[in-house]
Amino acid sequence: MLQYIGKRLLQSVLTLFIIITIVFSLLRLMPEEGYLGAAADKMSPAQQEIYLTNLGLREPLLVQLGNFCMNLFQGDLGKSVTYRTDVPVTTIIAGKVTYSLLFGLGAVALSLIVGVPLGIMMAYRKGRWLDRLGTGYIVFVVAVPAAVYYLVIQMYITDLFQLPMLFDEYRPITWILPLTSMALAPTASYAMWMRRYMVDELNKDYIKLARAKGVKERTLMFKHVLRNAFIPMAQYLPATILFTITGSIYIESLYSIPGMGGLLVDAIQRQDNTVVQGLVLVFSSLGIIGLILGDIAMALVDPRIKLGKGGGVR
Amino acid sequence: MTSKKPRILFIQNLVIQFTLRGRVLTAIRDISLDLYKGESLAIVGESGSGKSVLMKSIMGLLDKNGSIKQGRIIYQAQDLGQFTTEQEWLRVRGKEIAMVTQDPMTSLNPLKTIGKQIEECVVLHQGLKGKEAYEETLKLLKDVGIHDVKKRYKQYPHEFSGGMRQRIVIAIAIACKPNILICDEPTTALDVTIQAQILQLLKNLQHKYGLTIVYITHDLGVVAKVADRIAVMYAGDVIEVGETHEIFFNSKHPYTWALISSLPQLGSKGEQLYSIKGTPPNLFQEIKGDAFAPRNQYALKIDFLERPPFFQVSDTHYARTWLLDPLAPKVEPPAALQAFFAEGRQYASD
Repeated sequence: MLQYIGKRLLQSVLTLFIIITIVFSLLRLMPEEGYLGAAADKMSPAQQEIYLTNLGLREPLLVQLGNFCMNLFQGDLGKSVTYRTDVPVTTIIAGKVTYSLLFGLGAVALSLIVGVPLGIMMAYRKGRWLDRLGTGYIVFVVAVPAAVYYLVIQMYITDLFQLPMLFDEYRPITWILPLTSMALAPTASYAMWMRRYMVDELNKDYIKLARAKGVKERTLMFKHVLRNAFIPMAQYLPATILFTITGSIYIESLYSIPGMGGLLVDAIQRQDNTVVQGLVLVFSSLGIIGLILGDIAMALVDPRIKLGKGGGVR
Repeated sequence: MTSKKPRILFIQNLVIQFTLRGRVLTAIRDISLDLYKGESLAIVGESGSGKSVLMKSIMGLLDKNGSIKQGRIIYQAQDLGQFTTEQEWLRVRGKEIAMVTQDPMTSLNPLKTIGKQIEECVVLHQGLKGKEAYEETLKLLKDVGIHDVKKRYKQYPHEFSGGMRQRIVIAIAIACKPNILICDEPTTALDVTIQAQILQLLKNLQHKYGLTIVYITHDLGVVAKVADRIAVMYAGDVIEVGETHEIFFNSKHPYTWALISSLPQLGSKGEQLYSIKGTPPNLFQEIKGDAFAPRNQYALKIDFLERPPFFQVSDTHYARTWLLDPLAPKVEPPAALQAFFAEGRQYASD
């Protein structure tokens, strides 16, 4: 197990390095005027040249990349260029990460608490009204673009309940709408998966044997089916959890939440390479950690998987 | 001999229908069948003849779109066909009537140790707890021929071979200490050497616990090894029933002839293996007369018009064919089969 985790961690370092290289190179392809921003008109070409050289942009690409990686090992992501000039990127991100984490984890918790039991009940009462209602909800959330119902919620629900439209961290009531909006989609996917995997399991032979054995239908559901249905869930859960944390870009800008998603948009618009690199690193690390956690979680619930010996074979 | 044993369960005029997309399929057409205490009854028939449906109805495991339309299933003075709630069924299912399923590879829960899976049954039906249940489980594992039981108890299904898993499925079935054990194709998924072991095991257990066993199978080889009596099913009806030697060596129904003629052992070298021409009838339609008539080379005119009653051949042997009617022309089974019959009777009398 430990050996397997070690191997996976090494692999992910490599993956991260590749991601960094690609993003780093792509950013260097962007036109240089971006770095100057509004100050471009006020600078002579010679001044501009000095400015860009100071930023390290005149070095060969490989040297730039090398420097970046060396600094990264020391926990230094560089300093912001245009977003908040000369403030370390780590400081900027640290200030934002709390909001994203709070909202992401909140939304995930909400969608797990609602979605998983909903899926279980839908499978248990397959074909009845609860199942149909749930399916309707899932179809709606999947078919309608998130942007549409996000906006509808923001415009009409705030009106209906007299809630403030924008986020204010000192007024708890303003947390409700962004959280529920964010939870809508993951709730639907958890419910859908849970229902699907449970129905899959219900059709298997061991369920027939368990029935023939005289096990009560309810015991069957919760003792036999549920755990088996959780295996595929366990694999995807951590990844989706982290995806929810990082994937809140739109909600953050709708409700003016000062989180990482809004920061990424800002940094790209202002061509703040160091901030963009830093954020990409954070996002992709979270994604990769999610995948590893998923594999480990699956190995924990499924005795058929022995990690380390010949890799994780399902 | 078997007929002198008391009946443990009997089925009377059972009709089972399924509704599929608005159409009605009659899977079991007016079956009556007796099961005697301590015997092994084999129900044979091709796929779709209703063998499994019949057994599922005894355990209350019919799919939701199927129901008993008519008839009774009497076990211990109660009509199982009238059971509607889960509670009623749980008194019988597993406890009194248990089942060994077809495919041992998929019949066990992959996430529970086999010990726990057997113990679940012990706890449920014998009311034992903790240490006692554990000891009982170990005993059951020994009973079905598994060694090193303490270690095996803690292992998962994927750590066992197919034959071993079938032993565990059997252990689960007998853990409930049932009166009747239904074995739904218990050996189809196993190779031949393991088949023989499993059948032997079932025989030993039958002896030890006084079980009544019903084998559902289309493998006549299995039937010959284990059954005391055979019921032959065709298109949802029992068309011939009798003791094993009567069915094998003195059968009267043309369908039974055809079945036995299809045994590879019977064909001679260089000749094509016998197969029954045509297909079984469509069960969505009402069947008039003898269901086998359209495929039957010996069919009489009346076979197409009226369903034959059971004609008695001996105390234990009955067949549903008009050929046994006193007015019917005398028809002999095919020559190859006659030779087989003669050989069989010779063997039996020796």
